[in-house]
Amino acid sequence: MDRTTALAGRRGRQLHSTINTFTTVTTDLEPYAGVWEQAQAAHLLRRTTFGPTKAAIQQAQDQGLDATILQLFTDLPLPEPPRYYDTEEGDDPNVLPEESWVEAPLPEEGNVLPNRRSSLQAWTMGLLLNEEISIREQLCLFWHNHFAINNSVNDPRFWYRYITTIRSQAWGNFRQLCKDINIDPCMLRFLNGNQNEAGSPNENYARELLELYTVGKGPFAGPGDYTTFTEQDVEAMARVLTGWTDTGYQTTDPEEELTAIFQPDLHDVLPKQLSARFGEEVIGDLGEEEYAHLIDVIFVQDVVAQHICRKLYRWFVYYKIDELTEAEVILPLAQLLIDNDYEIAPVLQVLLRSNHFYSILNQGPMIKHPIQFVLNPIRQCGVAFPEEVQEQYPLWYRLHELTDNMDMAYYDIPEVAGWKAYYQQPLFYRNWINSISLQQRSRYIRNLVVNGYTPAEVTLRMDPLAFIATLDDPLEPNAMIAEIVTLLLPQPLEPGQLTALKEILIPGLPDFEWTLEYGNYLGNPDDETTRQAVQSKLQDLFVGLFNMAEFHLS
Amino acid sequence: MKRRNFLQTAAAGTAASLPFFLNGMPLQTMAKSALFSNVNPDNDKVLVLIQLIGGNDGLNTIIPLDQYAGLAQVRGNIMIPEQNVLSLTDTVGVHPGLSVLRALYEEGKAGVVQAVGYPNQNRSHFRSMDIWNSGSGAEETWSTGWLGRYLDSYYDGYPEGYPNEEHPHPFAITMGGNVSETCQGWAANYSLTVFDPFSLNPLLEGEGGVLPDTPYGDELAFLRHSIAQTNAYGEVITEAANLGANTVVYPESIRLARQLKNVALLISGGLQTKVFVVSIGGFDTHANQVLEDGPLGGEHAQLLKAVSQAMTSFQQDLANLGLEERVLSMTFSEFGRRIRSNASFGTDHGTAAPLMLFGACVNPQVLGENPEIDGQIGNSEGIPMQYDFRDVYGSILLDWFEVEESQVRNLLYDDFTYLPILNTCESVVSDTEQATPELSVETFPNPCQAGFTLSFQCQRAQVRITLFDAVGAVVRQLAARTLPPGRHRIEVDMSKQPAGAYFVRLQIGQQIQTKRVVKLGSF
Repeated sequence: MDRTTALAGRRGRQLHSTINTFTTVTTDLEPYAGVWEQAQAAHLLRRTTFGPTKAAIQQAQDQGLDATILQLFTDLPLPEPPRYYDTEEGDDPNVLPEESWVEAPLPEEGNVLPNRRSSLQAWTMGLLLNEEISIREQLCLFWHNHFAINNSVNDPRFWYRYITTIRSQAWGNFRQLCKDINIDPCMLRFLNGNQNEAGSPNENYARELLELYTVGKGPFAGPGDYTTFTEQDVEAMARVLTGWTDTGYQTTDPEEELTAIFQPDLHDVLPKQLSARFGEEVIGDLGEEEYAHLIDVIFVQDVVAQHICRKLYRWFVYYKIDELTEAEVILPLAQLLIDNDYEIAPVLQVLLRSNHFYSILNQGPMIKHPIQFVLNPIRQCGVAFPEEVQEQYPLWYRLHELTDNMDMAYYDIPEVAGWKAYYQQPLFYRNWINSISLQQRSRYIRNLVVNGYTPAEVTLRMDPLAFIATLDDPLEPNAMIAEIVTLLLPQPLEPGQLTALKEILIPGLPDFEWTLEYGNYLGNPDDETTRQAVQSKLQDLFVGLFNMAEFHLS
Repeated sequence: MKRRNFLQTAAAGTAASLPFFLNGMPLQTMAKSALFSNVNPDNDKVLVLIQLIGGNDGLNTIIPLDQYAGLAQVRGNIMIPEQNVLSLTDTVGVHPGLSVLRALYEEGKAGVVQAVGYPNQNRSHFRSMDIWNSGSGAEETWSTGWLGRYLDSYYDGYPEGYPNEEHPHPFAITMGGNVSETCQGWAANYSLTVFDPFSLNPLLEGEGGVLPDTPYGDELAFLRHSIAQTNAYGEVITEAANLGANTVVYPESIRLARQLKNVALLISGGLQTKVFVVSIGGFDTHANQVLEDGPLGGEHAQLLKAVSQAMTSFQQDLANLGLEERVLSMTFSEFGRRIRSNASFGTDHGTAAPLMLFGACVNPQVLGENPEIDGQIGNSEGIPMQYDFRDVYGSILLDWFEVEESQVRNLLYDDFTYLPILNTCESVVSDTEQATPELSVETFPNPCQAGFTLSFQCQRAQVRITLFDAVGAVVRQLAARTLPPGRHRIEVDMSKQPAGAYFVRLQIGQQIQTKRVVKLGSF
């Protein structure tokens, strides 16, 4: 009996089904029923958010696995759209103060594109920083990586619309998302869909649609044949997708809408013959609906589910997919996705609830990407931002610049296939680590902890005294260090490493001297020199900790 | 020795990356280009800082042989019996555990500076260590180290562009796990941490144990290896370690000895590092400084013996390697300890303490006077300061690293006073003491009530006289000017001061004396 028929509850493929439940599959994907403690709660939140605080971990721990999963997938309203933060009055008369620019055309005079760009980039960092127990931003980043764009489309309203389309269905229906992205104005422009016309087809989008977004490239099976699709399919599908274009790019006209339109005159109405890989289907003229029908045809191939499940696995679990994992995790998940009509939520929930996910083997081996590396310490150590949103924007933008320097800028992915770490054999995550990036990370740590960032008037800097005040027993150095390490690292340290960390805090001194010195500060919190002296020891401790190899892992 | 103008990079003239602030204070009169000093490329001197962590009890280390009556009254339960003390001079002895000091002193290769501290002594470990590391005054908080600033004034833009062909070696090395704050420059710390030359940093590299055979273990191994690779100095350290060789056996059970062994190894292997920082902790002897039944044992004795054994091997190794004249070692600690011991056979945080210098180019003398140990002193009194630690630092920068005096003042403080703690190493060591003019300092009445008269004589000299309280805080400056030759009197009004012990510190030219004065309570 092969694995596929052994699955309980399979009801055969149904298109447009409305079920939203999940079925238990193999042992490894069975719901985890082991201990639910700090380690497990932290692991779940590390992978689904951008750095859990002590309070968040405690909440997850207290409410249990199921409730936390529910909370992660709870619908939330869309955030307030971004606003300008570095413009002066009159720079953009189309936008009232306190209003967003996302609905406004560009002004006739002046160039506010850079301001809109930095506004959107900053605002996005803000969303990641402020997200609580929700998987939404992680999934937005995942889909952004999957349907990668770069900043060549120079109108930030297009990026906003693209990411909002993604955000509104972050854990929705994958088939529907593919359809929506297909005619997303930004994507149409980015992959030349808007130049794809009857008589002069442009294959760019069709190729990526197959190779990257849906079936993926299979093993070489002959000239122009990649098992999952052929060159013939690329050609035919390009013709299917003709006739679409975006409107409103860099417009100054308030009447011109930012949208995608179908132009029947530019659409190729002749029949399109697909290869045997798609059952030799012929697609006739369906006008505006033809692209949607095409997606439906593509999704008939089971490999679509396998392809996207592998990507989800690499995003949330680990990059190595050996034969066993493929058989016991990927394929069953893929089948589950098919059974659930390509609804992402139930499948992802199964994965995040599974024995496999909580296996000790899967806790800790994910190398943090730059956005994680930059945001984790800020979120987890409670680095404070000013109250005024307008004052937060420049700080958020600074963080965006940092991630950009580390080659992971939101809205500017260098490869169409997404960031290398998630597909490039054999290194995968290790692509993030080289002598340059390690120096950048180290410099970031020093700046975050010691020097601070002051892009405008306010300084962003970790306050270690404020942070340790939230711990259980900051007066006792061993307990304090143990708690910090448990909170910030995915696995325990060797005793020698804990001792080495303590040596940084209180070199050559007995433990009680920490209690004394820190206690002295608590008793005299306004004494500047005492505060500086204790603070500088803590700064050394955190710089040492954040520079450890272990801190790069999640 | 030749001197040539040597400005480090093309940017030096514009001083593009030069800090405009020295420790947060704007550079006012100094033209920025003048901060780029001449580096003598032939200066191959090495400084080894030996940090005694915790606050070394100087009074039981460098023992005033002429104060035994007083010592018996105030720290009878921990004092070293007179017959066990090793003598350095007629009036100064050393704890028997630190025998290396006597041995090297007699060879003309060690010296002592008495009562080193700073005005307004801070008795917090963290704060006082920050002060010693940064070379600041007690009221300021500087984020750079004294050696970091020294190096910043030569090496523009560090760490950008380093290492390079001109300077392939780290400028400083801290043996152990954390970089020394003494070497903190404006942009980065100059010291590299070297746990041992074949395993540079255990915090980053782990203990070398087997990693778990899991994906986590794999990724951790990859990361550790990658991090080690980014250490630009990793190769030169290992190369020097391979080329070098020790010539003596060090006591491997003593961590300080292992550290010094590696220092000698690396220097002998051709490493051009100028500063090494080693350390030994445990000097915070609030209790069990000595054993109840025997003052010759106990924690302090163990520590001093460890230092002694480590230094003995180190100096012998350097001598065999022909490095004796290139290497200067100096101990330092965040403070000394109380004059009075406590009931737990220990001592609490105090004020000033002696520091020790080792090396063939050290001026073999005990600089400074013995402290006066009065049987009536209070519990909170520490040894009053005679020498400002910044004068010790500055004198080393001047004599050892050939830094110009004006630059020394920039790096440390305007009131820098040169101390002859080193000699040129080219002349034969003579043991004739330099004749110093007698100061004849007197204070009367003592004890006093409303005030006292301070009387002293001097040649024409720069005079600075400061009044300290029992715990080392500055009460006020009594004089700060040049005086003509002759006897002088200063009336000191004590009417507004609380009762207790005070110290008058006279700095007359290069001579220093401290006198203890007691103000009585009112009846």
